[in-house]
Amino acid sequence: MKKLQGIAVSSGVAIGPALVLDYEGLSLPRRLVMPGQEALEVERLNQAVAVTCREIATDRDTVSLELGEKYGAIFESHFQILQDTKLLGELRDLILRQRLSAESAVQEAMRRYADVFEKIQSRNLGDIVDIERRMLKTLVGRRREDLSRLDAPVLVLAHNLTPSETANLDTNFVRGFVTEIGGPGSHTAIVAAALEIPAVVGIGAVLDQVASGDIVIIDGDKGLVIVQPDETTIAHYRREREQLRKQAVRLEALSDKPAETKDGVRIVLLANIEFPAEVEHCIARGADGIGLYRTEFLYLGQAIEPDEEAHFRAYTLVVKSMGGKPVTIRTFDLGADKTPSLPLPDREEERNPALGQRSIRLSLRYLPMFRTQLRATLRASATGNVQLMFPLISTLHELRQSKMILADVMEDLDEAGIPFNRDLPVGMMVEVPAAVMMIDNFVDEVDFLSIGTNDLIQYTLAVDRGNKDVAWLYNASDPAVLKLIARTIEAARRRSLPVNLCGQMSGSPIYTMLLVGMGLRQLSVPSSALPEIKAICRNVTATQCEHIARHAMTLENARDVKSYLRGELTKWVPELEF
Amino acid sequence: MGGKTGIRRRTMNQISITRTVTVVNRQGLHARAALAVANLVRQFDAKVTLVLDGQRAETTEMLQMLSLGAGQGRTMQVESVGPNAETVADAVASLFANKFYEEE
Repeated sequence: MKKLQGIAVSSGVAIGPALVLDYEGLSLPRRLVMPGQEALEVERLNQAVAVTCREIATDRDTVSLELGEKYGAIFESHFQILQDTKLLGELRDLILRQRLSAESAVQEAMRRYADVFEKIQSRNLGDIVDIERRMLKTLVGRRREDLSRLDAPVLVLAHNLTPSETANLDTNFVRGFVTEIGGPGSHTAIVAAALEIPAVVGIGAVLDQVASGDIVIIDGDKGLVIVQPDETTIAHYRREREQLRKQAVRLEALSDKPAETKDGVRIVLLANIEFPAEVEHCIARGADGIGLYRTEFLYLGQAIEPDEEAHFRAYTLVVKSMGGKPVTIRTFDLGADKTPSLPLPDREEERNPALGQRSIRLSLRYLPMFRTQLRATLRASATGNVQLMFPLISTLHELRQSKMILADVMEDLDEAGIPFNRDLPVGMMVEVPAAVMMIDNFVDEVDFLSIGTNDLIQYTLAVDRGNKDVAWLYNASDPAVLKLIARTIEAARRRSLPVNLCGQMSGSPIYTMLLVGMGLRQLSVPSSALPEIKAICRNVTATQCEHIARHAMTLENARDVKSYLRGELTKWVPELEF
Repeated sequence: MGGKTGIRRRTMNQISITRTVTVVNRQGLHARAALAVANLVRQFDAKVTLVLDGQRAETTEMLQMLSLGAGQGRTMQVESVGPNAETVADAVASLFANKFYEEE
């Protein structure tokens, strides 16, 4: 049994067999196949050899063309190595006689040759290693295709999952996942929470310690991953899982009750969504609206840009399903770790994507894409209660430019006689420190504000939200972040402007009382957090919250703030176990 | 230098020739050299086996050729069998002598 610690990004407990994806490293544990499966395994090996040879041949041809025969010959020799009948015979024997898995057979045979090569000091030792890696990648990597052909529940383990890969996991079968890299604020983490399956990221090297089929436990609350747990541990987590289920049922009972404090202060609880499919859960949990519709997922994993109709369809689906409750559509926030597969013209590799051409900057650079989205949003505003929001606004100029383009698109629709809401509320995300410093100017030019703590924390503390090595610095509870939030709320209050907080922080129970105490009357939370946050609101008074906020703001560091808040939560809302 | 005439046997139209060759190039019988040998032999109707210190490797078996450890200065036998045995043996010997036509 092995216990590994990572970063918890989506709560819950999952117990089940692992599915290891795309192994990139050098060593897999030795695995045997079940008796009777040997012939099938040989077939699997043969297919992998064929696929690998095809890939090598392609590389050979490409390289020969671009760099000349001399370099292409390297790949040709790799190709020939995989035709070596003695090698293939050895591999087959390892599988048939010793029941090794194809991967283990490849490892063992290639290691033997590597040893020989090392002894004779062959310059081609590297080639052996390369071919071994290729074969292992093909054998293990083929499972990415298998993700679409699952027939039983699995827990996915991978080096990394991009946001769009995460979004495409079939949660009927994928019951949780673990990645070796990744940070707490990354978009993969956000999508995991949206999918409502337990997930742990940044666990470090784990793929060389687990094989597909091994039983794994994912503790999405503590960020623990347990490989091949013993019976006691399994029993313990089965009990935990049952308790969580019971709690979820209890919280569900609150779904049609309002998020109102004991002293009668109504908190508007909105939800963050990535896909229209999540709306169902939001409604079931009594969300007061959608505070953040992350529209970039319409772009991810697509080979061609979604056209206006695709946008319009998705937006109106959400708007209609929410039946009159507000839906805030945020224009695309692409760039950074949400790099799309779209070939945008003139786009080069960015060295600093988080600080680069992303989000509103990308929109303002690629106007046809921006205008398409704005048109669809405006058209959707005629079908229901819609608000529009611009992300990552850092200067007044940027905001004004964006509004000008919106006005332009409105004119176009006017000319074409297409209906839209002329009084469409237009707001901005407050997520860049510069925007907070200038917030007194911004409040004169928008209809509402939304504090995006995911990026605000990143930019304020200069911490990469996707980097597990500095994850410990990424703290919503940092006093610097709290001061910026407070300043924004204050500026909004002076102008009587609606303001909410839509980062992951809003869905984290320990911050609810603090945020309410700081003056927020609207929170936009991940849909899975709606029941919990509502329960907290209903169990406290606004006065208590203000007292807590006042004290928290005097503390000097993130850890003290967090401990204090945790203590207060346990004190005032003990019935909800956290 | 190069290869000299070795043993010649004739069995049922199958000529069998053995030549002794020396590896002269700096990198020895590495992947690209082995590739050159394999490609050359493929053009003929013959089977060629390299033998070094008792270890045998057919030219169709890239991995086995590389496992011979035929570094610079080593001598080995080239056994060729087939109707064109002599031509092939000459060609292979020539290849070795010319350092596999590689730039060094």
